[in-house]
Amino acid sequence: MKKISIHILGLVATIMLLTSCHWGGNYKALIVTGQNNHMWETSSPILKQLLEQTGLFKADIVKSPAKGGDMSTFNPEFSKYEVVVLDYNGDSWSEKTKAAFVKYVKDGGGVVVYHAANNAFPEWKEYNEIIGVGGWGNRSEKDGPYFYYSVANNKRNEKLVQDTTKGRGGSHGKQHEFKIKNRVLDHPITKGLPVAWFHGKDELYSELRGPGKNMTILATAYADTLMKGTGRNEPILMTITYGKGRIFQTVLGNADENGGPSMQCVGFITTFQRGAEWAASGEVTQEIPADFPTAVTVSLRPNFSVMTIEDDLAKIAQYDLTKSTKYFVNLQHHMRKEAKTASGFKKFEKMMLVVLEDKAATVEGKKLLLGELSWMGSSESIPVIQKLTENSELKAAAEAALERINTAK
Amino acid sequence: MSAKTSNRRDFLKQSAMVASGTLILPQLIPSTALGMGGKLAPSDRIVMGAIGVGGQGSGNLRNFLWSKEIQVVAVCDVDTNHNLNAKAMVDKIMKSDDCRMYEDYREFLEKEKLDAVSIALPDHWHGLIYSAAANKKIDIYGEKPLSRTIREGQAIVNAVKRNNVVWQTGSWQRSGKMYRRAAELAINGRVGKITRVEVGLPDGDSRIGTPPVMDVPQGLNWDLWLGPAPKVPYRGVCHADWRWNLDYSGGRLTDWAGHHVDIAAWGTGLDRTGPVSIEGHGVYPNEGYYNTPVEFDFTCKYANGLEMRVANGSRLRFNTGAAWYGEKGWIHVDRDGGLLHASDPKILEEVIGENEIHLYKSDNHFWNFLECVRSRKETVCPVEVAHRSISIGLLGEIAMTTGQKIHWDPIKEEIIDNPMASRLLSRTYRAPWTQPIL
Repeated sequence: MKKISIHILGLVATIMLLTSCHWGGNYKALIVTGQNNHMWETSSPILKQLLEQTGLFKADIVKSPAKGGDMSTFNPEFSKYEVVVLDYNGDSWSEKTKAAFVKYVKDGGGVVVYHAANNAFPEWKEYNEIIGVGGWGNRSEKDGPYFYYSVANNKRNEKLVQDTTKGRGGSHGKQHEFKIKNRVLDHPITKGLPVAWFHGKDELYSELRGPGKNMTILATAYADTLMKGTGRNEPILMTITYGKGRIFQTVLGNADENGGPSMQCVGFITTFQRGAEWAASGEVTQEIPADFPTAVTVSLRPNFSVMTIEDDLAKIAQYDLTKSTKYFVNLQHHMRKEAKTASGFKKFEKMMLVVLEDKAATVEGKKLLLGELSWMGSSESIPVIQKLTENSELKAAAEAALERINTAK
Repeated sequence: MSAKTSNRRDFLKQSAMVASGTLILPQLIPSTALGMGGKLAPSDRIVMGAIGVGGQGSGNLRNFLWSKEIQVVAVCDVDTNHNLNAKAMVDKIMKSDDCRMYEDYREFLEKEKLDAVSIALPDHWHGLIYSAAANKKIDIYGEKPLSRTIREGQAIVNAVKRNNVVWQTGSWQRSGKMYRRAAELAINGRVGKITRVEVGLPDGDSRIGTPPVMDVPQGLNWDLWLGPAPKVPYRGVCHADWRWNLDYSGGRLTDWAGHHVDIAAWGTGLDRTGPVSIEGHGVYPNEGYYNTPVEFDFTCKYANGLEMRVANGSRLRFNTGAAWYGEKGWIHVDRDGGLLHASDPKILEEVIGENEIHLYKSDNHFWNFLECVRSRKETVCPVEVAHRSISIGLLGEIAMTTGQKIHWDPIKEEIIDNPMASRLLSRTYRAPWTQPIL
């Protein structure tokens, strides 16, 4: 296995250099935290890691005094940053700090409002205009209408509703996995994403209300009444403009131990990273990752690390019918995105042949690769596959692959 | 057998001609079965059988049985339970007890002397069984999509033509007034020259993971169900659920291409040709036994410049259905609530003049088939049309699988300058099954 890994590593490195190297800029991000009714000590370092792993950001974390502390000492230098990420829900800031923040946004600063940060500062008018909608803290009809999409069998009949009904702002049902639906597909943040994707177990924030000025709801989720939800399509991802500033709000990511599935969800990670880049620059240069969830699958990164093709191939080599096929799907995704030409496919072919020649690789893993090689393999694959016909378990799959390769003229 | 069948067919044709004045079909199926051409002796009836009598197949058979024009003599399914249910239904309606049952279609086709057969099988079986039935010179009502691959589709088209059999595709929307009206408005330029068509198909949404290997249920011949598809252990994914695995189907895309793509092409007059390029992408489940695309979005360009975009509905303005865009507006038709609407409601009141294009009029898809079995005329959804409709879905699948723009020669039916993608025009069959001959 070791020898193979080195071999693969070299190829992967080459491919990465050739195809996926992009450096959109060097943005400075400030994560504001220190007080929260949520696990900010867990979430803030994760948010920092997520920002920095894009290669686009250098992130600092600034912590406020503890609850009840002297807030006059809390004066972050917002204007030094391209984006401020709010992981804060606590004591009021000083008037000076508030004014500095509002000025920062008005002058074109980017903001990411993360999960419970939309609970913060119910009395601060400008803050509520910046976040668009929020919840809890005695928010009610006095703060603005509810925003949601109505429910209908057919998407074309679902409409954005601004509902001025009296009532509380902010609620959520039981935590569960839920399907998120992108309502705007041509925004830089959502462009290229699937329309629908399953999110890891999380709180589904509902009944958010607020001024909602200059706000676009990018995505919603149906709050199932079976989960004690509202039965509405609740806003999940929003963009707001305030002065020259760009704001991205995500209600996702209720932190649990090690982040939990809500933060480990590749959908949360990707939209957070894209939202931060958009808030910082107005554009998004990041690729959609291979393991982005779909309408039928939740996809988690338990340690927040990005999957490489090398990881995929190593896992495919160990694959048996009881294990996940996601590594194989990732490989297919990379191939579709990156191969494009016959020579592009050749690189992937070489990597797959290494696994096929590996005695330790499983039969089931090899079968998956034989299926791919049957259409994209070149004459280089033939001798390797020929050998596999001698293996009784692989004979049928190998012969089928050879038959197809040989139909090419 | 052919001598007997053709004599019988000639007789049927003659009686149809004699009775042609009375071959007017009621537009609604009555609660009691009605005869089509007046009272006929049993020997005048169209002798029918059915292969594949699960959910869709038994539903189709039930629809045929509203007609007293037919006599169903045998059913064939790899699941004994399906056969028993279908036989019970047939015997009850036919007031008999002799509907025969078969497990293997080869034996069924060999032993039964049929005029027509209704076939509803998973897509991976279409190529072989449609061709085999055509080669026995039996008229076929076959479910869409026509085939799992383009080469299989060509083989079926050739077999149907070579044997001069009548073919009707289960694309029943062609016999729906609303769809015909929409297509007729589009093809006659009521929104000007059509430049763009958008076709929305349902989103894929079936979650499953990878279920454990389990015992094959009693009565199911799993190996025969798999047929030409790769041998895999049974995981409870079989009837109805097969549509979400690429070995048997292309998922929602290929399922529904035979409906809304078919109607969209009808309204452009391009339903007997194909695009010249296809480009787009799909979203595939991250893992699990279900591996058909849950989202898809590709655009086909035609030689005349027209663009057809095919996507899962959530990506499109009107969600599902067929929408034609012309210089003067748009027309959209969808199954949901019987929806036909246009950019200007007045368009919908337009009368199609005598010298304009009048599309094939059928108001009952099943009876259109039976009528054509007698008249030997073409049905409302003939085999070549079915082949061209599913070719759009299958070419889209190839574009998404390879991540490449596919250039297509719609006359020769070849992918241009791309040997890798060309391999995806066919699949290998598991021995002892061999591809139907082209």
